Amino acid sequence: MAVSFDRARLAPLKDTVAVVGVGETDYGKDYRGAGGQTVSKGEARYDSYTLASRALKRALDDAGLKKDDIDGLCVGGTLSGERASEQWGLNPRWSGGGDAAQCIIEATLAINAGLCTTVALVYGNAQRSMDTAYGGARVTGGAITSYFYYAPWGMTSQGALYALFFQRHKLLYGTTDEQLGAVAVAFRKHACLNPNAVMQKPLTIQDYLNAPYIAEPLRLNDYCLINDGGVAIIVRRADLARDLKQRPVMVSGFGWSEENVDATQLRPRLKTFYHGAHHDVAAQVYPMAGVTPKDVDVFATYDSFSVHLLASLEGFGFCKEGEAGTFVQGGRIEIGGELPCNTSGGMLSESYMQSWNHQPELVRQLRGGLGNRQVQGAEVAQYVHDVAGKCKSLIYTRGA
Amino acid sequence: MATARPVRAMDPYAEQFWTFTLSRELRLQQCSACGKFRWPPGPTCDRCLSDDFAWSPLSGKAKVLSWTTFHRGYFPEYPPPHTVVALELAEGPLFISYPVDVEPSDLRDGMTLELRWIDATDKFGEYNLPVFGPSAARS
Repeated sequence: MAVSFDRARLAPLKDTVAVVGVGETDYGKDYRGAGGQTVSKGEARYDSYTLASRALKRALDDAGLKKDDIDGLCVGGTLSGERASEQWGLNPRWSGGGDAAQCIIEATLAINAGLCTTVALVYGNAQRSMDTAYGGARVTGGAITSYFYYAPWGMTSQGALYALFFQRHKLLYGTTDEQLGAVAVAFRKHACLNPNAVMQKPLTIQDYLNAPYIAEPLRLNDYCLINDGGVAIIVRRADLARDLKQRPVMVSGFGWSEENVDATQLRPRLKTFYHGAHHDVAAQVYPMAGVTPKDVDVFATYDSFSVHLLASLEGFGFCKEGEAGTFVQGGRIEIGGELPCNTSGGMLSESYMQSWNHQPELVRQLRGGLGNRQVQGAEVAQYVHDVAGKCKSLIYTRGA
Repeated sequence: MATARPVRAMDPYAEQFWTFTLSRELRLQQCSACGKFRWPPGPTCDRCLSDDFAWSPLSGKAKVLSWTTFHRGYFPEYPPPHTVVALELAEGPLFISYPVDVEPSDLRDGMTLELRWIDATDKFGEYNLPVFGPSAARS
């Protein structure tokens, strides 16, 4: 790109905004019926606003704030800002929306511009109740053309696009199914330490390999869950974040870059694994936060599919290109390992909240006191967001 | 009789692309100003923003880049197992299609495949679907 980002303008925004409250719904409990059985898709129990409202109330309680303290609002893609504000009795001075990382970056900019001081970021998705389809004739995701364009050839579903990605990675680097399986196994291990996670049954590498292919070479456990849930995050200007109920968690760095040229052809997906966007975001987020990948104590990546982790680790320099399959072996990405990843269980095993559930988990890890799920001494946490090359990253640090 | 296929995404440029397939011609828009081929069809050249273009015929030759086999059914028209292939066309663009006359286990990185046609139909009418099979003279 001809025009570069301005590091000198990004730097002063470090630690100007803090996360002061987080709230989530009861993912595991809501996934099961009264008798403990898994609720069927399309069995309507919730709508998205019910879940979002519940999460918002919990986040405010967590922060020790009242709704009247909120002067800005961001909502996730399934909600209308107007309807959400109306239901919660809010007249925001600023509003935004999108994925969790986008909302945190935009709220940080709005707060720094002086438009608002305290922003609620709220998401709710009753995707299991509504039987939302991510493949086939009812496929959603109109904003990303490759999700539906190849239907005449029988090609839809985001999983199949990641299957093409992983097959290409296998061809180029010799990455194996067993290596990829370590991702789902690690995230499940983390979910089993998280009482709120949907999946509570341990998964061995043999279980992983024995499970059926969905879009070969990807198997069942490479895919995220489809469950109902809501998440809310309260961010506030840093000088107003002291002396609240929780230790503040600082927004210390962020970056944003999208690799959209030839996206529908899948060129960035299959030729460079979106590393162009990853490198651009890495060049923003690490210098802004004043850290390097070696300083990251706890890591989370968007994980609608296990494959995302390989792409993030290579793209952000945790290992060399082609070496992520080796990197994720031997417990390195597990709690207690060198780089614990998706410690809540992620979207594969905790809850498919489309980037939102990763933020409360990183915040909790930096606050401390998570018992046997705690990453000891966690001070720096990174989130990497990459949906079809629309990449963002956040670095959070433990506040004073 | 033409085979039913999942419905195409249609716009004025896609409509022209599919009209050429009725005479079994695979043509893509090529920028008249800078020569870049584009896919999917659209109004402007993404490299130079010129809206002058010609529908240039393609050689029909492509190399295999990746593939996946669906083991779960997503469309009644494509019962599993159904294999899809990502190709790099000789003219540059990447192209999603499916392989014919070749087993998934025989697909190889960089393998050359050639254009074939399948009679197809959907709610927009009859057309021919470009698919790819092993070349007569294997490279």
